[in-house]
Order: sequence, then structure tokens, then C-alpha cells
Amino acid sequence: MTIRLSLRKRFRKLTVNSKGFSSVIGTTFMVLVMMFLSTSVFLWTLSQNTLYNEALRARNQEEADRSSENIVALTGNYSVSGSEVTVNVVLKNAGSVAVQIINLWVLDSDPSNRRYTNKSLNLNLKSGDILNLVGLNGLKVTIPGASSSHNFASWFVTAKGNTIPLEKELGVIVAQLAQGIGSIALDFYTFRYYTYETSPPNKLKNYPAGNISFNVPSGKDIAFGIVLSNLDPSKQTITFDLYSQVWIYFPQAPGQNRLWHIVNVAPDGTITTPYSPITIAYGETKLIVFATETPGGFKRVSILQEGPCALNLLLLGKIGTRDYGQNIPFVSLYVYKP
Amino acid sequence: MKLKGIECLEMDLRKVWKLLRERRAVSTVVSSVILTGAVIAVSFVVLFWAQYRSSAYNEQYSEAMNADIARLKERLAFEYVFYSGGNLTVYLMNCGTIDNVTVKTVYVSNSTSVKVFSTINLTNFNGVEIADQDLDRGEEGCIVLSSLSLQAGTSCSVRVVTGRGSTFDHTFVA
Repeated sequence: MTIRLSLRKRFRKLTVNSKGFSSVIGTTFMVLVMMFLSTSVFLWTLSQNTLYNEALRARNQEEADRSSENIVALTGNYSVSGSEVTVNVVLKNAGSVAVQIINLWVLDSDPSNRRYTNKSLNLNLKSGDILNLVGLNGLKVTIPGASSSHNFASWFVTAKGNTIPLEKELGVIVAQLAQGIGSIALDFYTFRYYTYETSPPNKLKNYPAGNISFNVPSGKDIAFGIVLSNLDPSKQTITFDLYSQVWIYFPQAPGQNRLWHIVNVAPDGTITTPYSPITIAYGETKLIVFATETPGGFKRVSILQEGPCALNLLLLGKIGTRDYGQNIPFVSLYVYKP
Repeated sequence: MKLKGIECLEMDLRKVWKLLRERRAVSTVVSSVILTGAVIAVSFVVLFWAQYRSSAYNEQYSEAMNADIARLKERLAFEYVFYSGGNLTVYLMNCGTIDNVTVKTVYVSNSTSVKVFSTINLTNFNGVEIADQDLDRGEEGCIVLSSLSLQAGTSCSVRVVTGRGSTFDHTFVA
């Protein structure tokens, strides 16, 4: 008997004989039911695990965002008036995510007056933003019994729960010293004068280096170069108008005053007119040239008198949005006959 | 033709009568029916029991998972902890992503002792009691814990346990 014949015979027997067929169907049905149930439970468990994993991922993302917050509180200082404490600070978002600041806490850490207060804020800083909270924009809080001799600690709280401590600026002494004489710091060692090129007549010779000296020639048209720094404690920009000037007087020869108004100078040393206001941002240092007798225009000035004289700096303009005026005795000069 | 049809009918009736009268295989059929019925009944019982067990398992698992997820979403930030005159004031903010964060227990410890506070009264920063005694998203609250004796200048820690079971720790100088 061949294998093929044997298989055909067996198949015929299987199809003809229906005994035990119901058991097969029942078993198949039960297996299907069990598979359906177990698969449902498995898939449902899987979906629950997915939910948990999603929550975990969201939590990790929040943690990452939270740790990405990087707000730097720069140049902090406090000023006290009665029980009102003003917190001056420059906030910079040095992180990669936007930050919302919701609270400021200020603590008077003096043992005699351990009090604290908080102020609700809503400051939003995008990445790279700088927020100047100084001067009129300073954050004011009330702490009964506060005094300028007390030490304060303060910190900001972000919406994500981070705290940003405010570090007190050490350089505040410099700014306060500047405030004692105005908001401008002067550099004595770089004081210089300029003479003019023969052509064009409005071009300074050897600009910007000039002649760093306190001895200037008489009878020659000269201009002065002064390096000024803005150290305004309220960190505002200073703008000089056309009436800003330097002026000299001779103690031994009263009435021989001379004055030089502020001018704009092109990089090649050419004095340009009309005058366009010069600004110095907080912390910026600039070389300012004084050259013209007429404000806003150009008229060269020479010194006819010889001997020692005093040079004063008379500055007018704006500091922030407010008017600004300052007169400072600056250097002493000796005018010699060339 | 008609006669042939009647003969056929008679023959069929005879076969049916013979089948009804024949008792030799009845017991096998009855037993098969009973067996099949029993098997089906047991199968349904097993099916319903399995379904009941699996749904109970699902419910239990779902509850556990939801509790875990809710706990994951909880986060409390300590804005400030201030100790003075035996009172510890803890300023909290809910900076998580879930509402209704309750404070169940607070532990205050230093190097030598631990004090447990189970009755917590949540107030806002102005001292007004929070009506629902929980912190929603972004909400700030304050807890005052009294009768503490912490040594000034020493490092202490405070642990806040929420109603969902999350714990948040903070270290401060008394």
C-alpha cells in the first residue's frame, strides 16, 4: 500500500466518522474564549502601563524643564527708607526655557529684627531676556523695623518651584562713590588734547590717541578728549545734549575763560555737524570729545592765555527719562607757549 | 400512482413507530445530552468566574496605577521655612500638575529627635484658612507647627507627606 493511498484512507475515515467531533469543537471554542480573555487582560494591562509611562515621561520632562531654568540675579542691592525696603536687581534669563517669576521673598536677617515679607510678582523672562529692576523700577516691600544698617537676604521663586537667591553686589561701593560726585566716573590718566589737521579743517590730528598730557600749547586750536564711564547706581543710560562742555579758567587771569562744547567725531577724526546726542549705557566707557565754541555746530577754539588753569566738566542731558546736569572740577592744565 | 404514494407513507410511519419503540440507544443519547449540558453549564460558570476575576484584577490594577500616576504628578516647593519662638512656619507652593494636594503628615527633625504633626491646618500667606484644605495647581499655602524646640543655628529638616503618599523634604537652619 502506498503512502498516498494510506493517507487518503485515513482522511476518508476521519470525515466519515463523526465520533468525538463535538469535543474538538468545544475544546476549540474554550481555547478561543480563554485566548480572548487573556488577550484582553494583557492588552488592557499594557494600556495602563502606557499611561503610567506617559505620566513618568511628563514628570521627567517637567524635571528637565525645571532644571533648565537658569535665572541670574545680578548686581543686587537694597535701599531702605523707613520700613520700605527697595530691592534693586538685574535679572537675566541665562537658561534655555522661558521663566515666570511669581514671588519675591525678603528677609531682614538682623538679629534685632528677624522679619520677612513676600511680594507677588508676575515677571516673564524669555531666554536671554534681561530685566532691570533698579531705581524707579526697584521692587519695594515693607518690613517693619528695617534699617539701612541691617543685612537683608532675598530670593525669587519661579512658577516651577525653583528659588533664585539674590547676591549682593560688591561693586555697589563704586556706584555709591560715583553717586557722591554724580553718576559719571572720570579717567584722569587718559585725559588728552588734540590739534587739527591742516586740511580738512575739522579733522583732528592723531585721533583717537591724541596727546595724553596736562600741558597744552597756547595760540593753537585744540580740542579735548575725556574718557567717561557711566556708573549710575540706578543703572540708567546717560545722554549728553549739545550744551555739555568743558571750560577752563585761569586763577591768575580772571575773565580768560574758554569753553569747548561736545562734538561727534567720525572714526577718522572728522568732526561732524549737527551734533547728535551721545549716550553712555550703564557700565559703558566712552571717549568724549569737546571741540567747538558754538553748541551743536563747529568753531575751533584756542587758548591765548598762558599759565596754570583749571578744567571743569559741565554735563547736561538726560539720565534715563529724567533731566541730568552735573558740573565737576576735573584736571589742572598748564598752558605753555610753544 | 396514487396507490404507490400511500404505500410509501405507510412505510415511513412504520419506520417512525419502529424508532419510537426501539429503546436500545436511548440511554446513550440521554447520557450524552446530560453530559453536554453539564459541560456547557460548567463552561459558562468558568467563563463568568474568569471574567469576574479579570475585571476585579483590572479594577485593582487601575486603581493602583492611577494612584501612582497622581503621585507622580504631585510636587510641592518649599518657598520658605522660618523658625521663631517655638513655631515653625512652612510656606509651600503646589508646582505640580495635579490639583487637590492635601498635607497629611509633617515630620520635623533635627539630629536628635523627630516630631510628627498629623493635624495640619493649611492657610494662605495672609493667614486666612484655606477652605478646602488642599492646594490646587499654582496655589500657595502655609503651615504653622507649634511647640517645637529647635536649637537656633542648627540644621533641621522638614518632611511633608501628602494625602496621596508623596513625600517632600527640605532642610533649613533654625
